[in-house]
Amino acid sequence: MAEKKAARFPDPHEFQVPSELEGWEEMYPSHYLFSKERGEWESKQFWYLDKIHAPEPMPPLDLIFQEAWQISLSQYTTRVFCIPPAQGIAQRMVGPYMYICAIAPPPDEVIGEKAQRFEKRVFYVFEHYDELWDKWLTKFKALGKEMEAVVVPKELPKFVPEDQVLPAPTGYYVSYDILESFNNLVNQMFKGWQYHFEMLNLTYLAYLMFGDVCRKLFPGISESAIGKMVAGAYVSMFRPEEELCQLSRLAISLSGVANILKGEGTADQKIAALEKSEDGNKWLEAFDKAKDPWFYVSCGSGWFHYEGSWINSLDIPYSYIKSYVERLENGETIERSLDKVDKERDETVAKYRELIKSDEDRDAFNNAYNTVRTIYRYAEDHLFWVEHWFHTIWFAKVRKFGRLLVDNGIINEVDDIFMFNRYEIPELLTEVATGWALGVDIPVRGDYYKAKVDKRKKILKAASEWNPSPALGVPPEEVAEPFTIMLWGVTTDKVKEWLKGMGEVSAEDVSELKGFASSAGVIEGPARVLKLLKEIVDIKEGDVLVSPSTNPSWAPVFTKIKAAVTDIGGLTSHAAIVCREYGLPAVTGTGVATSIIKTGDILKVDGDTGVVTIVKRAG
Amino acid sequence: MEPATKPIPNPLKLEREMDYILDFEELNKNSLQMVGGKNASLGEMIGVGIHVPPGFAVTTDSYLRFITDTGIKDTIFQALSGLSVDDVEALNNASAEVQNLINNAPMSGNVRAAIEEGYAQLCTKCVVETVPVAVRSSATAEDLPTASFAGQQDTYLWVEGIEKVIDSVQRCWASLFTPRAISYRIKNEFPHEKVLISVGVQKMVDAKVAGVMFTLNPTDGDLSKVVIEGSWGLGETVVSGSVNPDKFVVDKVLLETTEKTISTKHIECVYDRNKGGVINADVAADMQCTCCLEPQEVRELVKLAKDIEVHYGCPMDIEWAIDKNHLFPDNMFIVQARPETVWSQRKTEPVIGKKSGYQLLMEQAMKRIKIS
Repeated sequence: MAEKKAARFPDPHEFQVPSELEGWEEMYPSHYLFSKERGEWESKQFWYLDKIHAPEPMPPLDLIFQEAWQISLSQYTTRVFCIPPAQGIAQRMVGPYMYICAIAPPPDEVIGEKAQRFEKRVFYVFEHYDELWDKWLTKFKALGKEMEAVVVPKELPKFVPEDQVLPAPTGYYVSYDILESFNNLVNQMFKGWQYHFEMLNLTYLAYLMFGDVCRKLFPGISESAIGKMVAGAYVSMFRPEEELCQLSRLAISLSGVANILKGEGTADQKIAALEKSEDGNKWLEAFDKAKDPWFYVSCGSGWFHYEGSWINSLDIPYSYIKSYVERLENGETIERSLDKVDKERDETVAKYRELIKSDEDRDAFNNAYNTVRTIYRYAEDHLFWVEHWFHTIWFAKVRKFGRLLVDNGIINEVDDIFMFNRYEIPELLTEVATGWALGVDIPVRGDYYKAKVDKRKKILKAASEWNPSPALGVPPEEVAEPFTIMLWGVTTDKVKEWLKGMGEVSAEDVSELKGFASSAGVIEGPARVLKLLKEIVDIKEGDVLVSPSTNPSWAPVFTKIKAAVTDIGGLTSHAAIVCREYGLPAVTGTGVATSIIKTGDILKVDGDTGVVTIVKRAG
Repeated sequence: MEPATKPIPNPLKLEREMDYILDFEELNKNSLQMVGGKNASLGEMIGVGIHVPPGFAVTTDSYLRFITDTGIKDTIFQALSGLSVDDVEALNNASAEVQNLINNAPMSGNVRAAIEEGYAQLCTKCVVETVPVAVRSSATAEDLPTASFAGQQDTYLWVEGIEKVIDSVQRCWASLFTPRAISYRIKNEFPHEKVLISVGVQKMVDAKVAGVMFTLNPTDGDLSKVVIEGSWGLGETVVSGSVNPDKFVVDKVLLETTEKTISTKHIECVYDRNKGGVINADVAADMQCTCCLEPQEVRELVKLAKDIEVHYGCPMDIEWAIDKNHLFPDNMFIVQARPETVWSQRKTEPVIGKKSGYQLLMEQAMKRIKIS
């Protein structure tokens, strides 16, 4: 490797965005921009790319989720459960990429105030965890149903229906309804995210507590070991796949169905073929039953509107079913053994427990472990309900609005609505309502909005070619905020590695990357770099997946790949856990894998040491 | 653990009641009285299938037979009677006298024949005309200072040829009577007559790298680790502390290396043909800071350490060597293994103490959370 100059990260206010992205600022709310009013504070912070929640350029409306979690995650730490030494996580957009920063602890007096409240408030949650989880699920499902029930008017009619006027006028009409409905959706989304973090902060606290206990008892124990003892099999996140397995088995037992499902052709074509027979219809019925809620799972992370979900991208689940049916006919087992993962975890815990000499210490270890296992389930389970099920409902509703806007000449395609942020859409809807109210042949600023859509699409496309700096601002002496370490896998060492990458080394010169040893094993194979989640269909058997982060909803893909390498993600991130489930070598949190590695490069992935070597460059 | 009950007839069993030598393969932990701790341990490990260099033990009976047959027995104990630990000069004189007696008395008869036969068989087994061996004292009683007083007198390396072997065996016997050993027994009121010694004769590992390992962390007693120290050449440089070894701290459960320190390994103990023995030679400059173990070797050593610990049921102190003449993993040898004594005898102090999950959570929340 070439010698590198000593590095620092660019100052956020000086950092230049490529000229192709000119005009990007208007896509996002003003508090998302680095600004001179907050400049002094901003320059002192350490900002890093959030490749877990925002691995790709941010469509304006999709920012709503980030807005929601910035408030929610932070408030539980600062104002609700008052985790004493921690503060919130701030976000900024630079071009269409999002940077986040963990804010330094508050002054000691505030820490003291928080501590008093923390003790009381957390104790309650801790004591009543299981009961609170049940309540949570109930109230969250109710919220989702509420969103599902929001009515999006299909059209603004020439004349309002008679029953809205006679015998007595309702008093408000579709012009109001469209605004109220959209507002409701936005409010529900924010509320859902308020719910999301209710117990999550505690979960990470419990994880850190357990890690601490382990480090005291087994000095030098790795994060890898701690993560393996804590994280178990997901429950709800893997239901969708389980349902597919069951449907595949059912297909085999019904004559003719398996053959149709194994064939080439789109889902629609297969459905049409299945509808022709009794067995086929029987199978389709079973499929329909499984759909709600399990097929609301996103085809990606759930953060972006273009990812799609299984219910509206049927080709995806059907392609998984095709391969399951084929494997079943080959005599293979298709169900993953979740038991195996739990068993391995329990064995690891037992082995460590055996090594504790003092009885008191062993009790403490058991107490710590039981605490974290009880609480950690929430971290594993909430994901499906919020990021997948709830977001899928949202996207479907928003598209109805998109349809309305298309029909009223504001935008060209349904999905163009996502090119406007949540503050702008009420404006568009108001213009529609106004145009309708004013009368016949009233012009709207359709061309204006359509031009904006075009420009923003171009900006997002250009941004996907750009590799912004992994971080901005002042790197910390040490990384201390728990989410930062645990979820994003950003550690002091990682930051140092990024700093190294800031020098004059070009991607081609790098032949080795380091990350977390997230899942054991060593293999060699060709890389498949996926930056856009829709490229998932390009994956071939035996590929080494290289992506910003991986997703549990990609679970069926893990049966094809040999190993996984990610840019970001610690030991308990979804990437690490899924790879261990599948027994695939994985190196997560490399920071730069998708920038350095190219599809076709031959990689050696060492999940035991956390090292990825580029053995041979493609072409 | 069942004793190894291999009925290999000992051709050297010339008198019914006595074995003068015993092949390591015939030994197990029940052989302690005959062959001492070290040799019994080697036999025990062979029985478990651990790769140990072959060899044989010269039994305690051989020692007794020797001092009897040569007639020096009474002289020895007379020379030692009435000694006081405070009279250093007398102590040193007595020691010198006794050691000379032992070293110079001619070994003959059944004992010599047994050792000759044993060495010949070892050469045959190793397919070498004169196999280089290590000749080491092995104590029978814990009261007897041996390994913890490891000195120059009780281990001889790279001994070739039967005459040198015989000579080394005698020197090992003589090491029973170093000034330190004598005064130790006087202090502890342990009669010199009651002390017995065995000597192990073991094929030398032509080590490219060797060292020690513990099945706990000797720094803090942490039972979850295997700590390996290694350096180039024979393990004596590590054991004697004359070189700064490379150090590897490996987690036993997940086999992850949590600490790795590469030191400057400036000398190595190697066989020098010209000098006819082992010397401390300079290590080539480019090798001094090179890591002496490959990852697969570290893993294999850890596996061996764990197997040994499981078998003995207690933390172990182990010597290992990697032979330059064979390929992995056949080149990995365990040269010695004994129970660790320092931490195993210390009282266990709790690290965390009595705390509930909730208390731990509170503590965590209050900390300024730092990571290493």
